[in-house]
Amino acid sequence: MRPSALRPQQTPPREPELAGPFPPDLHDVRHLWLKAVLLAVWVLASFVATYFARDLQDIVVGEWPLGYWIAAQGAVLVFIAIVVVYAWAMSRFERQDAQAASAALAEGAHPAEHRRG
Amino acid sequence: MANQARRRRGVRLPAWLRPHQFFILYVLGVLGFLALMTWAESQGLSRHWIGPIFLFLTVMVYAGIGVYGRTSDSDEYYVAGRRIPPMYNGMAAAADWMSAASFISLSGALYLQGFSGTSGQAGGLAYLLGWTGGFCLVAMLIAPHLRAMGLYTVPDFFHVRFGGRWPRIIAALAAVLCSFTYVVAQIYGVGLIASRLTGVQFEIGIMLGLGGVLLCSFLGGMRAITWTQVAQYVVLLLAFLIPVSWLAYKQLGNPMAPAVYGEQISKIAELETQLLDSAAEHQVVQAYLRRAKEMEARLQDVEGALERERELGRERIRQLRAQNADVGLIVSASRELAALPRDAASARERWTREMHENYERAKPLGGLPPHSQAYAGDPNGTPEEQREYELARRNFLALMFCLMVGTAGLPHLLTRYYTSPTVAGARASVAWSLFFIALLYLSAPALAVLVKFEVMQNLVGSSFEALPNWMAQWARVDSSLLSIEDVNGDGIVQFGEIRLGADLIMLATPELGGLPYVVSGLVAAGGLAAALSTADGLLLTISNALVRDLYFRGTKRDASPEQRVILTKFTLLTVALSAAFVAALKPSEILTMVSASFSLAASAFVPVMVLGIFWRGTTRKGAVAGMLAGLGVAVYYLLSHVPAVRGALPGWLLADGLWFGIQPISAGVFGVPAGFVAAAVVSRITRPAPVPTGVRLEI
Repeated sequence: MRPSALRPQQTPPREPELAGPFPPDLHDVRHLWLKAVLLAVWVLASFVATYFARDLQDIVVGEWPLGYWIAAQGAVLVFIAIVVVYAWAMSRFERQDAQAASAALAEGAHPAEHRRG
Repeated sequence: MANQARRRRGVRLPAWLRPHQFFILYVLGVLGFLALMTWAESQGLSRHWIGPIFLFLTVMVYAGIGVYGRTSDSDEYYVAGRRIPPMYNGMAAAADWMSAASFISLSGALYLQGFSGTSGQAGGLAYLLGWTGGFCLVAMLIAPHLRAMGLYTVPDFFHVRFGGRWPRIIAALAAVLCSFTYVVAQIYGVGLIASRLTGVQFEIGIMLGLGGVLLCSFLGGMRAITWTQVAQYVVLLLAFLIPVSWLAYKQLGNPMAPAVYGEQISKIAELETQLLDSAAEHQVVQAYLRRAKEMEARLQDVEGALERERELGRERIRQLRAQNADVGLIVSASRELAALPRDAASARERWTREMHENYERAKPLGGLPPHSQAYAGDPNGTPEEQREYELARRNFLALMFCLMVGTAGLPHLLTRYYTSPTVAGARASVAWSLFFIALLYLSAPALAVLVKFEVMQNLVGSSFEALPNWMAQWARVDSSLLSIEDVNGDGIVQFGEIRLGADLIMLATPELGGLPYVVSGLVAAGGLAAALSTADGLLLTISNALVRDLYFRGTKRDASPEQRVILTKFTLLTVALSAAFVAALKPSEILTMVSASFSLAASAFVPVMVLGIFWRGTTRKGAVAGMLAGLGVAVYYLLSHVPAVRGALPGWLLADGLWFGIQPISAGVFGVPAGFVAAAVVSRITRPAPVPTGVRLEI
């Protein structure tokens, strides 16, 4: 790792009070939507489902009382799914961005070639 | 030559497995060692040897990896050179994450508390959900963003993002505070296991375990710790899954415990109703009630009662002497006399505790809630029951919230993701960690159910003469772990007469299920691995915070990176020793202490970290205010309910009673919002006025 990344105090902050030396990058809207949707699923699987656990307990699926099953297994499986989907989707977004960037580069390079031709 | 080459080609692994050859060899080695020990036991290897062999060999393996990975290069020491592949990073994070509390106490808590615990003490599945659900927050809100910044410690984030001095200092102090309570709990776990395995004193057990921790983290920092944690994960996973699968196979004919234990849930519910109707259980309840009443009567007049008790003891010794009774009897009688409280104050304290304990045990089912019932009380019952239901549910959700948010704030976990090579690698690492954690956590409720069935079906109703050997052994280590007493004097074990401590269930499972003693050794080694791996990570976090973030604070002091690493190593040694000293005082239950540090981490770090990452308008003063407010509220609420503090400070300084009926363990419920609000409001106020020139130019 470059040591310079760690010593931001060598480059004094432009705005001493706001944001400090390292304001976060602006977040991509698609990323924020992805996070929002997955967090909503997270709240549903954990807080909402356990809030109604007593009511779900009377529903028995196979040998399992549903309220117990969700808290003991179902929610954990949903958590794994959320984290995996997030990692997959973000990598996909990054690939798309990289493709778009290289396409734009190619686009930029193309007319130049034409002119030369 | 050709022969040799062919042989070498013969053992070559397929290409996709080749990067994992060391790992595969290690797993095969562990399995081979287990097989060897099983064989040795069947050949008559003494039990006195099996425990120490497991303890010694596993610690030696970890130490060996630690010595092999020794380094004084600062990149290697702090972040393992940032080149740990996601799968191994996930494994190491899982071992780092699964502490003594997860491995030793989680199934015990699920056994004792069922679904949700009581309104006074939430728990049960809240631990399971909290310790897994938090990873969604880590994955989406925090870990990749921190990795992208190329940091070394968690307080670094506050320095890099907000600049100045105070954000980093406060963050470092908060990191030390919550990691220290956590590490004390780990070392307590180490002492517990080592003393059981080798039969040495608790304090010596602590020192033995500490040697193991130091050998790994002292020499090699993050690099060594990462690979020892991978090794420890394998041991602790096997140690958990083997007994669970065995019990499931024994009871249900299928070793896939998480898939099949549903069947036992309804059987336990049936056994519970039988126990509630049983006459013998009622006798036990009455006996405990009588004891509690007696204590209550003594508390009416402590001095007089103490004098009476002493007189009774002396009288008994005189009688025994007069009868020329056996010396042993006289000795035990005088020991009882000596064990009486010294003065009225300690008598009051002890008798109050015993009164509460006896009242607790005088409840039906020994005070345990019905196993699969969600929340105590009854939503359709009397107003009192409705209120209890409401409180139990509220505390369950609150505890879950604190554990989840705390997960996203615990520094020793977050630094784990600094070691991955890329940001995408950090995301994948979180996913792998959750997968490896779930392997164990999905089995924990299964184990609780299977053990409860075993106890209710086989132990209850057996005769006191035929009690298995292991019960006496554990009762000797610590009577709070296991106590069993023929309260109603019928010579038969009732459910109400057994009391198992939360820390015991997992450690005693192999003996309870009648497994070979080797499995007991393996389980203890697994508990040791869990405690050591977490302690490693925590100690490194604490010493890094103290040295990098507090002592050196930026680059003002002259010191080469090597000198810093050496200083960090010695700080680590000091911290480890002081943690061992605190642990030797046997503070309180592991799980409670750990949960408290989650509340602290949640309130101190998460609000400011999330705002700092997602809101560019967060200012330095806002960050300081947010951290102080969050931490302050959480610490205040926690301390207000510690009896010692309540006695020492005037009442008007402390929180009056419980706020909204939330237990102090979930102080984060108040600390997190306080942190968010304070950070947001102060950032708004201290924000510089927008520069007006831009507007004028447009006009």
